[in-house]
Amino acid sequence: MRVKLKRMREDWVIYFMILPAIVFFAMFHVIPIIEMKLAFQNYRIIGENTWVGLKHFEILFSSPAFKDVLWNTVIISTMKIIFIFPIPVVLSLLINEVRSGTYRKYVQSISYLPHFLSWVVIAGIWISFLAPDGGVNIIRNFFQLPSIDYMTSKEHIRWVIVFSEMWRSAGWDSILYIAAIMKISPSLYEAAKLDGASTLQQMRFITLPALASTVVTVFILNLGFFMNAGFDQVFNLMNDSVISKIDILDTYVYRIGLLNGQYAYATAASLFKGVIGLFLILGTHFFSKKMTGKGVW
Amino acid sequence: MRGFSWSRTIIYGFLFLVTLAVLIPVLNLVAMSFSDPERVSELSGLGILPKGFSLINYEIILSNPLILRSIGNSIFITIVGTCLNLFLTAMSAYVLARTDFIGKKIVLVFLIAIMVFEPSMITEYLFMRNLGLLDTYASLILYKAINVYYLFILMRFFKEIPMSLIEAARIDGAGHFKIFTSIVLPLSKPALATLTLFYGVYHWNEYFRATIYITSQEKWPLQVVLRQFVVTQDNTTMLQGMNMSPELLASLDFGSLQAGTIIIAVIPLLLLYPLILKYFTKGTMDGGEKD
Repeated sequence: MRVKLKRMREDWVIYFMILPAIVFFAMFHVIPIIEMKLAFQNYRIIGENTWVGLKHFEILFSSPAFKDVLWNTVIISTMKIIFIFPIPVVLSLLINEVRSGTYRKYVQSISYLPHFLSWVVIAGIWISFLAPDGGVNIIRNFFQLPSIDYMTSKEHIRWVIVFSEMWRSAGWDSILYIAAIMKISPSLYEAAKLDGASTLQQMRFITLPALASTVVTVFILNLGFFMNAGFDQVFNLMNDSVISKIDILDTYVYRIGLLNGQYAYATAASLFKGVIGLFLILGTHFFSKKMTGKGVW
Repeated sequence: MRGFSWSRTIIYGFLFLVTLAVLIPVLNLVAMSFSDPERVSELSGLGILPKGFSLINYEIILSNPLILRSIGNSIFITIVGTCLNLFLTAMSAYVLARTDFIGKKIVLVFLIAIMVFEPSMITEYLFMRNLGLLDTYASLILYKAINVYYLFILMRFFKEIPMSLIEAARIDGAGHFKIFTSIVLPLSKPALATLTLFYGVYHWNEYFRATIYITSQEKWPLQVVLRQFVVTQDNTTMLQGMNMSPELLASLDFGSLQAGTIIIAVIPLLLLYPLILKYFTKGTMDGGEKD
């Protein structure tokens, strides 16, 4: 014990250097988490909050509005996984076939670009491009199809969410796969060529199997963030005409909590989402560690 | 290579279409913003060349006091925020990667716990309010002052510095802070550049916390003003404080003004894009950054 204390005293500089980080996380992360006990309380402007047990959760689970946002969250996340997840894999395979260094650089630099734009900017770009006289409708008109006002169409808005996310992230997300492909030994391809394998056969029998573990890891890790469904995106692409189709948990929490001031009730919805998210992340982490050796951390 | 190949031509062509799908919506806005307001209606939604040429949209945008101030605010928040981020992240990464102390395991477990559970935006808001930080830049600078993912990326970089250098300095009697500032930091310039860009892009693009924490319009960063204009379609806020003749007002095209404001918000990223590509790509491939 005394030896330990002596060592700690000698190492004071180390503690002094890590202290700001600890204080920061304790204040801005841990306190707001502890404060989520508000989910079990009634919020009072003056005086102490009073404990109300599970009241907010009972209201939450019996509210049709909450069921709707939960359903929207699940459906948007599922659509994103089905329609967006495979795209970066395909893109990386295609980019890998590009032999010209200049063209490859061009394709990569352009397709990565949207990842660095804020959702406010992307929403601005897409609202303009999907307008009744915007680019997409000009293409539709070319094929004799009538214009659609996508941003206010209940039928199409979820697809707008899917495609705008694809536009933003497909290029950038291919990076991990391109990195994995670059690690494949060139001798494998040379041997395959000697055996007369076509480009497609090389892709099928060398590249894809080598990518498999990265694909599985990324897929599992994506599942861990299933409950998020993309707050920033929905927040910026939402409007009154389509809110019923794309209102997700986080936008719901924002609206009832920060706009309507029902702090305790909104915190209950947050806590519900957080606990499910926690189980998903822990579950996927340990599952991924076991399957592929790579986890979230 | 065996000369012409159909499969390769199709792949090249398809990838070209992919890049067009990224570029055309952006270039269309550029064209719109530089078009003559009287002729902008002729511009097709797929057009990438301005109809006529005019700088009037940018003149109006940049003479708007609200936008001008918000650009200054964004620059201020980005610079001060990124400096604080870098200082805190680098110092903590040094301690966790290169020193051994009692309690280090607890700190690491604590950091991982932080990664898996995010506080609610409601309690974060109430906490900022209790601290009296609402409507101050401090709320934006302190929020996420250390990003745990970036901290882990930097730790990985720091671990690669040869032990012999640090040992030599220790023998010469240098303390940890001295080693950190005069050996580790100068040797980690590429890693620090990567993190500067990670944090810088984050601050420049941040709009949500500013939307909920900052209530005075004159303190808004550019992204919040842009959102008000482009997403909320609030033209009145955009025009207040501007002295314009009714003729000029009537000749304005709001779509083009929005386009110009979007372009202004993107320009800093485009200027840094070569650096971003170089460092972000490397940082991501090494560290597996995911958001």
